[in-house]
Amino acid sequence: MKRINKIGQCLAVLALILLSFNSARAQQTAADSALLGRIAILEQQVADHKPGESHFMVAGLTTFGYVSSKTTFTAPGASAQVTRANSLGDGDHYELSPMFLFRHGDNLLVEFEPSFDGTSIGVNWANISYFAAPGLVVHAGYFVVPFGIYSKKLAAGWIDKLAGDPAGLDLPGTDFGVGLSGGFPLGNMKWSYDVSLTNGLQLLPDGELQNAGVVDNNKGKMVSGRFSLLPFSNSSLEIGVSALHSNAGDAGSNFTSANVNMYGADINFVKTFSPFLVNVKGQYNKIEVSRQTFVSPVDSSAFSFSNISSSAFAQVSVRPVGLDNFLKNFELAYRYSNYTTPNGSAWGQNFHENDFGLDYWLSWRTVLKFTYAKSSALGTSTLQAGGIPGLTNVNSLYLQFSVEF
Amino acid sequence: MKKIQPRTRGWIMIIGTIAVIGLIFTSCAENAQIAAKSGAQLWAENCQRCHNTPSPAAFSHEQWKTVGLHMQTRAQLTDKERDKIIAFLSQ
Repeated sequence: MKRINKIGQCLAVLALILLSFNSARAQQTAADSALLGRIAILEQQVADHKPGESHFMVAGLTTFGYVSSKTTFTAPGASAQVTRANSLGDGDHYELSPMFLFRHGDNLLVEFEPSFDGTSIGVNWANISYFAAPGLVVHAGYFVVPFGIYSKKLAAGWIDKLAGDPAGLDLPGTDFGVGLSGGFPLGNMKWSYDVSLTNGLQLLPDGELQNAGVVDNNKGKMVSGRFSLLPFSNSSLEIGVSALHSNAGDAGSNFTSANVNMYGADINFVKTFSPFLVNVKGQYNKIEVSRQTFVSPVDSSAFSFSNISSSAFAQVSVRPVGLDNFLKNFELAYRYSNYTTPNGSAWGQNFHENDFGLDYWLSWRTVLKFTYAKSSALGTSTLQAGGIPGLTNVNSLYLQFSVEF
Repeated sequence: MKKIQPRTRGWIMIIGTIAVIGLIFTSCAENAQIAAKSGAQLWAENCQRCHNTPSPAAFSHEQWKTVGLHMQTRAQLTDKERDKIIAFLSQ
């Protein structure tokens, strides 16, 4: 009887073990199912966010500020006239420019940058680039024509150390066409090229130049290019030269033979002399338009002038990046610029400007700029050309905020 | 001596320019010191030529790849510089 009881007890224990094993197995199966379910969800989430071969993003920049200015104009033999003005939005420097970037694979990039300047919406860039080979980018569309260093590389509000732009660097501006660019090592040095073929410039009835636009004004195209050399292995110095040739006269007009040659040179030096980051930049432009005969807007008589303009700027800025306190966010900047337009033209002048700036960098791409600008323009136009000779002095105070996003 | 026609002269200039550029392309090479530069070093040297050096945290890897191509069109970076800088900024 005792033996039967022992067997019964053993069977009961065995049954309990089996029951608990089945229970554990059931729990394990449930845990496995939950885990598999979770993994499936995670796989779906990863698939949803998997980077494809294409990528789209929006970047851009905006500049906003306040300017107060005092303009004093003195006509020959007359007393000075003073005009004061101030503007939120920072006069003509306000800008909101989102940039849409679409990358297809590793070789194709589409850039579209519309821009609102306070009065209208324009386009800064609408360009397609194909990265064809090492050192060879082929692009086409609407882009800033390669010439000098300022317009293409330094003009953005969050890059420029001073609130305004140096005068006389608007041309050749933005145009429709095709281009090639690239950079190459050269031993310890480096060099780059940036060339384009575009519709070109248009000579206006008063002798000034503007971009012809999407419909060319003649059969001739504009060839423009910049070549640069970085002679030091640390890329601290860049020296560039630029040249441009364009037919400029409207087809069938009196200016059919008009053509433009531009020459330029630029320099860019950036180096840390602990604790200061020193930044020196400069550019010189010369524009030569073949001599033409113009009609006076005053008495319809014929007149002519040597249509040669030149512009230049030299800029230095210093920032104590090596300090460990808030002073490292401050940057001091100074720029001298000069713009000389043809004597005897409607817009003839000899313009000089000095800009003094104190910037505070809130981040690497966000800056608050305080700039004092003092300019002087001596008119060299004539009444026959429709100009107003005289001396114009302008003092301006800017408080400007700019951010790249 | 026969005068060269303007059109012929134009073709000679175009072919000559292509030949010179091709010659330069094929002769371009970096030395060992330049080739050994890290992405961080290239980031510090090249970005600040125009603007402040960007924070790696500003964009994701995919965004940096797009921004890298964009910056190559602006600053004429070499392909190796672009790739190394993107790799550094994506860490």
